[in-house]
Amino acid sequence: MSGFGAMNALAKRELVRQTRQPSRIIASVATPLMLWVFIVGGFSNAMGKVAGDETSLTAYTIPGMASLTVMFASIFASISLIQDRHDGVLRAALISPAPKWSIAMSKIGAGSIIALIQAMIVLLALPFLGVTLTPVGILGAIGALLCISVALIGVGLAMAWIVDSTQGFHGVMNSLLMPMWLLSGAIFPVEDAAGWMRVIALLNPLTWSHAAMRDALGMSDAFNPILAWGVSAGFALFGAALGIWAISRSSKP
Amino acid sequence: MSALDVRDLRVVYRRKGEPDRIALDGFSLESDNEMLALLGPNGAGKSTLMGVIAQTISPDSGERVSPASRHGLSIVFQTPALDQLLTVRENLQISGALHGIPKGEIESRVAALSDELMISDRLDEQVRHLSGGLARRADLARALIPHPTMLLLDEPTSGLDIDARRSFWESMRHIRTQLGMTVLLATHLIDEAERADRVAMISDGRCVAIDSPARLRDALGERVLRIHTVTPEQIKPAMSWVRSLGAIPHRIDQIIIVPDAQSIEIQSCPIEGIGLTIAPPTLEDAYSIRTNEGTLI
Repeated sequence: MSGFGAMNALAKRELVRQTRQPSRIIASVATPLMLWVFIVGGFSNAMGKVAGDETSLTAYTIPGMASLTVMFASIFASISLIQDRHDGVLRAALISPAPKWSIAMSKIGAGSIIALIQAMIVLLALPFLGVTLTPVGILGAIGALLCISVALIGVGLAMAWIVDSTQGFHGVMNSLLMPMWLLSGAIFPVEDAAGWMRVIALLNPLTWSHAAMRDALGMSDAFNPILAWGVSAGFALFGAALGIWAISRSSKP
Repeated sequence: MSALDVRDLRVVYRRKGEPDRIALDGFSLESDNEMLALLGPNGAGKSTLMGVIAQTISPDSGERVSPASRHGLSIVFQTPALDQLLTVRENLQISGALHGIPKGEIESRVAALSDELMISDRLDEQVRHLSGGLARRADLARALIPHPTMLLLDEPTSGLDIDARRSFWESMRHIRTQLGMTVLLATHLIDEAERADRVAMISDGRCVAIDSPARLRDALGERVLRIHTVTPEQIKPAMSWVRSLGAIPHRIDQIIIVPDAQSIEIQSCPIEGIGLTIAPPTLEDAYSIRTNEGTLI
């Protein structure tokens, strides 16, 4: 069998589950929005304009909040694998003839759709903060956020599969993803950071995804856009491959 | 070729800081177009064997000759593998898609199986709103959607009340008659094992006996004597008394089981304060003697 039918059915299941759990959507969007309010409320006067005095901190941090929304949605998407594997539908899926990649890709596909919808709600704040949303800008933002969600869900699936406990998964993901997000130019311009921090940020693939998103939205041109898109796409491919590889491994309980 | 043929399987669980645990130790089994019960206590290796057959566990050594692939294989787990937030119908549709069944065919199988399992009026309810028994029948329908040639039942009635268990097995009996398939049942319940065509008794990862329930019972003679000792001091004289009668006692913890005991007169027992019963042998007697284990739980 090709696996696409199985992938579609499992992805549809994830989307239906989401519509029947509205609290998950609220939690994923509310946390970044609250964080954004606290950050801009606390620092905007102190920092003033950023990115060449063209963008306020209030607007500058919105793409970062969108990526944080994607990060939370990705964690939700991948953590469900742990329970699903032991108590849920995934047990039956894993012994079905459906190829393992279809299981991983259903999680990545559906999780990305959910993450993008939530992140776009956050991005809708931009026109109210002086940033004009053009069709190209919206498509670029969707592309960058898609790269982030595919990468993070893929990495999350691999972590969930290997760690195999919700507590352990939270520990690993928090210690990996939060520093990654903080050091990615999400809430401050990387080009203005201290030397050592700038080096770390440049090694961080999320930095390049933020750069690609801000470039598409016309908010910053501090990075080479071709390099930014290349790193973002590479990060997505790496995450997806890692997730598929992890789920394809057989195991002992 | 048999539907199930596994040879000399060995599976060892290795965890850091813990001693290695042998789950299967030279395990061989063959089965075709029958219901075969794997009878053994928790930890005997039943679920590991199911995992090897379902290809979710790779054995350290040995060979799984058949089933060679996952096509035609389905499993009912100890708890339903259903999405609680989805309706019964949606769950069954997913099962069909996972097995590559065309949409139109899935719908006709959903209708037929839900009729057979008496869940057709609950198809559009979310699983979380169903009782345990109904959810279990829905899960059986989920496993039967691909019309498997081999169905694995891993303690499928655990947590169900008596009525729900009876209903589950009644449904299984109907379905087996209609579909005709090899069923492998892992259980620690004697009454469930009695329903099987053959019983494989498993202890410490090994198959210690395999035959029909009747033959396993009959091997113990027409009657067995069960001696229930109260204190440890009673065990030695009780064993001596049985041996003096020319019979062979099998001690399992505080109980002594004596096969071929039809000629023993329990009034002749010189030990006071012990319980003596003489009765036809049960599958549990056969299991206890074969494995030297008193309880299956």
